[in-house]
Amino acid sequence: MAKNTHEIRDPIHVFIKLDSQERQVLDSPPFQRLRCIHQLAMTYLVYPGATHRRFEHSLGVMELAGRVYDVLTNPENLTDDIRHLFPQTQNEDERRYWRRVLRIAALCHDIGHLPFSHAAEELMPKGWDHEKMTREIILSSTMQEICSDMRPKPEAKDIVKLAIGPKKALDLKFNDWEILLAEIIVGNAFGVDRMDYLLRDSLHTGVAYGRFDHFRLIDTMRILPPPEHGDEQERSSEPCIGVEAGGLQSAESLLLARYFMFSQVYFHPIRRIYDIHLKDFLSEWLEGGCYPTDTEQFFAFTDAEIISAMRQAAKDAQQPGHIHAERIINRNHFRRLYEGMLSDIVAFGGTMKARQIATAASNEFGGDKIRFDSYPPKDSTLDFPVLERDKSVVSAHSKSQVLKQIPVAAFDYVFVDKEILPKAEKWYENNKDELLVEREEEE
Amino acid sequence: MNEGQNRAVLVALIKSLRSKGSWCGETHIQKAAFFLKTLTGVPIDFDFILYKHGPFSFDLRDELSVMRAYGLLALEANYPYGPRILDTYMGKSLRARYPKTLGKYERQITFIADRLGNKGVVDLERLATAYYVTLDNSDRHVDTRAKEIVKLKPHIEYESAQKAVKDVDVFIEQIREEKLLEA
Repeated sequence: MAKNTHEIRDPIHVFIKLDSQERQVLDSPPFQRLRCIHQLAMTYLVYPGATHRRFEHSLGVMELAGRVYDVLTNPENLTDDIRHLFPQTQNEDERRYWRRVLRIAALCHDIGHLPFSHAAEELMPKGWDHEKMTREIILSSTMQEICSDMRPKPEAKDIVKLAIGPKKALDLKFNDWEILLAEIIVGNAFGVDRMDYLLRDSLHTGVAYGRFDHFRLIDTMRILPPPEHGDEQERSSEPCIGVEAGGLQSAESLLLARYFMFSQVYFHPIRRIYDIHLKDFLSEWLEGGCYPTDTEQFFAFTDAEIISAMRQAAKDAQQPGHIHAERIINRNHFRRLYEGMLSDIVAFGGTMKARQIATAASNEFGGDKIRFDSYPPKDSTLDFPVLERDKSVVSAHSKSQVLKQIPVAAFDYVFVDKEILPKAEKWYENNKDELLVEREEEE
Repeated sequence: MNEGQNRAVLVALIKSLRSKGSWCGETHIQKAAFFLKTLTGVPIDFDFILYKHGPFSFDLRDELSVMRAYGLLALEANYPYGPRILDTYMGKSLRARYPKTLGKYERQITFIADRLGNKGVVDLERLATAYYVTLDNSDRHVDTRAKEIVKLKPHIEYESAQKAVKDVDVFIEQIREEKLLEA
């Protein structure tokens, strides 16, 4: 008899298990394409080990989503209130249906990624991003055909909702159950997408700060009412994902890991400038300067095609994108002229200065010699519920000294062509006071 | 509104809510900002969807985080409750830089703080969801909207939903009477 359960070895989760129906999604051309999309774009030019792909990350997210779902819906972990609110947890057919939907959604959540992941996402037509492309692919006839053979058969609209979540599906209405399940994948605090990429990126970059005890964290995750506020006559019963008190330290270490990985890896200045050079290359090399959104044309592009084109263009001055390709292939990247730290940004009254400096530098040296890149400190978690040993639910923020202190990562960079770096540094030193002055905004 | 004006309005809203006794956690601010934009027409740059405790803006969540990092707002912890959000000395300086904007929207901010400042999360969730459903529903019958709320948020009981719908109808009428939308 043919085997129905398959196991794939994985450096993070040891074995990833899937059944024959899920394997059909894995074997499909849209999913196999993820073998050729680097998880961290060209970060391997800075951290040589970072050559892992979206393919294994997607498998990891599916594995973790299944584990979290099993913990959250385990009858021993549910209170009567939660059972009442979510009858899906009580009916075995429904429980199995939503487990199927969740795992397929987790598997497909990155299926619409562009070559080199986020690096050149701005080159999609207006109104498009990888989440919208993911939605198109899940709804495509190829994927529908695969899903139609599954038992239980997942509805495409349900997969879409859980795969991209409410933040990126503004036109779709989510009920409380769907919000909760989407949070398992894309949640800000404990989403398994984040869990897997922190662990995996940490392993492959060699940056150990990204590790945390995800086994303990997952085992202690629970569906809980939100933390109470001091003004409540009655507490809202809208549930969300929290942790038992025994898992608070692993939750803290996840959020610390996130801060360290952002500040050490994702916001590394050389990684950022390679993304910009790649974007510059693609905007000249792609027809019309942007990616196609037709699924068939979209599938034709992977990192392999782009790397090959860059290598050709780097050698031939007549080819579109030559200058930018040469910078990448020959490691001739721009150098950092200015780096604004969070403390600088605070001192400037919350204004990031890179754009202002880059504009002045472009006027001085020419726009082709200057680039800038900024990211505000926006990704933080305010609070989540913690189940105390006496069964009361309290605020994690009020209980944890660590959560109160975790900084938020941000960056504000200006880069210049290395040929003009000494001149540009001198120019910046001479004009710093004028460049960094706080300008009053027009009302 | 530009980024600075947006932030100044948020700081002013938070200050006003607190002066009316609000706990001023994130949910309180989310719902008050939703009403400020959609009921009184103050053009703060946030999009709201139906999410946790009713209408919710991911952009606003990010913005509150940015404002905390920049020292314009601060968090106050009170075990075992959720954190309160406070305006700060830097927030006060920011408000001082936008007198025209804040003058223009002062009545709207006061209107919202007067009506929501004394409300807890449970009431805010019902009211904001009721107004979201009202905006989204051409059938203005109280029963239709109350049923829609229960469908979207099953933990809200029909009677509470019905009361919330009636309450937001009063808000809408008061906005008309005070001519706040035309201001």
